[in-house]
Amino acid sequence: MSTMIRGVAASPPRRSAIGRREIASGLIWLLLLLVPLWLPAIGGYTDLATRILIYGMAATGLNLLLGQTGGLSFGHAAYFGLGTYGTGLFLIHVVPSLPLAIIAGTLLGGIAAVLVGPMVMKRRGIYFSMITIAFGQMFYFVAVRWNGLTGGEDGLTGFSRVPLHIGSRSVALGSTGYYYLVFGLFALVMLVVWQILRSPLGHGFVAARENATRLRFLGVAVERQIWASFAISGFIVGLAGSLDSLLVNFTSPANFQWQLSGEFVVMCVLGGMRSFWGPFLGAVIFIGAQDYLSSVTQNWMSLIGLIFVLSVLFFPNGLLGFIRGRARA
Amino acid sequence: MSENNDTSGVIERRNLMKIGAAVGAAGLLASPRQVWAASGAPVKIGMLDPRTGTYAGNGGDEIRGAKMATDQINGAGGMLGRPLQLVVEDSQGLPGPAISKAQKLVSQDKVDFLIGSVSSAVSEALSQFAQQKKILYVDTGGHADDVTGTKCAWTTFRTCSTTWMLTSGDFGTLFKKFGKKWFFITPDYSFGHALERDYTAQLKQAGGMSVGNALAPLGTSDFSSYLIRARAANPDVLICLSAGDDLVNLLKQAVQFGIDKRMAVAGALQEMEVLEALPKQALLGWWTMEWYWNQPGVPHVAEFVDAYKKQFGGKVPTARVWFGFVSVHAIAMATAKAQSLDTLKVVKALEGLELPPEIALQPGKCYYRAEDHQMIANMFPGHVPPDATYPNLFEVANVVPEAQIAQSPQAAGCHMTYPS
Repeated sequence: MSTMIRGVAASPPRRSAIGRREIASGLIWLLLLLVPLWLPAIGGYTDLATRILIYGMAATGLNLLLGQTGGLSFGHAAYFGLGTYGTGLFLIHVVPSLPLAIIAGTLLGGIAAVLVGPMVMKRRGIYFSMITIAFGQMFYFVAVRWNGLTGGEDGLTGFSRVPLHIGSRSVALGSTGYYYLVFGLFALVMLVVWQILRSPLGHGFVAARENATRLRFLGVAVERQIWASFAISGFIVGLAGSLDSLLVNFTSPANFQWQLSGEFVVMCVLGGMRSFWGPFLGAVIFIGAQDYLSSVTQNWMSLIGLIFVLSVLFFPNGLLGFIRGRARA
Repeated sequence: MSENNDTSGVIERRNLMKIGAAVGAAGLLASPRQVWAASGAPVKIGMLDPRTGTYAGNGGDEIRGAKMATDQINGAGGMLGRPLQLVVEDSQGLPGPAISKAQKLVSQDKVDFLIGSVSSAVSEALSQFAQQKKILYVDTGGHADDVTGTKCAWTTFRTCSTTWMLTSGDFGTLFKKFGKKWFFITPDYSFGHALERDYTAQLKQAGGMSVGNALAPLGTSDFSSYLIRARAANPDVLICLSAGDDLVNLLKQAVQFGIDKRMAVAGALQEMEVLEALPKQALLGWWTMEWYWNQPGVPHVAEFVDAYKKQFGGKVPTARVWFGFVSVHAIAMATAKAQSLDTLKVVKALEGLELPPEIALQPGKCYYRAEDHQMIANMFPGHVPPDATYPNLFEVANVVPEAQIAQSPQAAGCHMTYPS
């Protein structure tokens, strides 16, 4: 069965592509590893790189569902938001431990996705998107209205990035230290996603996207594939949310809002939904442009919109899809 | 990945050149950094204010006030002999984006001080951020009591008034004039909650009662459901606690609903930015201003108004302009007094700092109270006259010194702790 699915899914093997790809990946990892050295020199700052990694992680997680499985979710901010609040509330009310708080946030986001999954997995297309938005907004209003716990519109303050305890030593995480913590988790997530995409499960996701009917005839429970994809992406986005709350020591209901879900989708589309690095590249462009343009002009949102429109018009497969198409030609 | 390793992984020359070009382009895109002579490196104040969103109008005025002060300081020799630079970032009036921008200002622009904010939620978030970074933050315009009350921080000062002052400035007048049954339309975040709590406390004490409180989310554009509730509750007075564009929409719709024919319309905070945006029929109500441009007989005010008009196209300065103006000047005076940019030294210099009349621009003594870092100035309660036209949109009934109405730092719940 797996060979048949692979026949549907995998792009035709390309000559010479592998060597180039490995070098490109190696370069990306090297650049990411050395960020605190070169970014300030070109006018950036380390926290910006951390934010890009976090949003790149979230976009990559969403893309497992969006690009690979073909489920357009406009509600993934819900799991991001749950990650932020899970971590913040854990630090305030349970124990001030960084690893446990990150696990708590990730679990909260992921488990919510596991629970919501069965209610969305049977729908396709626009109905799928509508239900994901509805669930996203539900979590948003809970965060806004449950003033006593979440702080309502004011957001949640009163927690901070506590030092990490390794053995008997306690390590305070500054900008650079926290960057490397996020970098490590980012690498872990990318590795997991890479492994999933190579596994029968990942090929099943692609098959569900390409031809659900045929998959069903083969006796595969398509809904369960979508559920699995939804849940895994929920865990990853939850982890990203958790890391985001620790970056700024703050979270607010804006992290639940459908605008943020839309931004995740834009990142995937901008970079390329069909490529492994596409969503990350999209995050680099989106967060970078947002950071730079919003300091230059108050009309930065129009410019971001313009970038998106142009990229959809001229790079329908995303930036990476375009570059790869050029390289193949 | 190793399955078709038939070609060696060489980068072609053309691709290498492409990579080179891309790296070069990235270098060009990066912002050109200004280079200053070492002795004249500027002192930087990072300002976070909304340029987009519900509070964009208010934020714009705070920025203009701060710019005016910056120009004056640079014209008089700068801050500690160095040029002063104001770095403005858009907070969107929301705490999340504000914190991201604050991070950028501190890590990338390396600002020495932070000022700004219209929304109380942003002020609270920035106050916590500044304390963690041990950097001075002057809250220009976020009013919630907490900022200099239960959540006060040694690094935070506030130029605008508290919600307690806003409510007690006109409570007596409203209660005597309109009656004891009040209905509230409240923005659903710290500012609104604090105003409602403060009014209700005074109302209960005076023997009145609240007949309802409708919580409207920030950025609400359709107030009809809240206005229907208000009409059904049939109070003596409708208290509108929204601000910015939200208050503009609320007042317009209240008039369309004929609310003003059935009950009095009033509130705590009113601002020139709001009144200016209202159509003639919606210009009404009893409110409190925190500063007003027309103060006959008070020295320096007329000169200030003229200078502002000249610089900014004939508009009169608003309370928000005054907040920005005072906040920057206060930092400059404190650094001059401390002869240092060190946070703790500047904080100590700001405590109890009294504004000279050409900056205070109002009668009486204006100073940052040492115990909780709250500015003590004056309140300007009054009403919108029936024939209001710009710029005469408000009639100040009396000038109330805040020293008479402010809660004591103990009552506000501030216990200041300093780093050892």
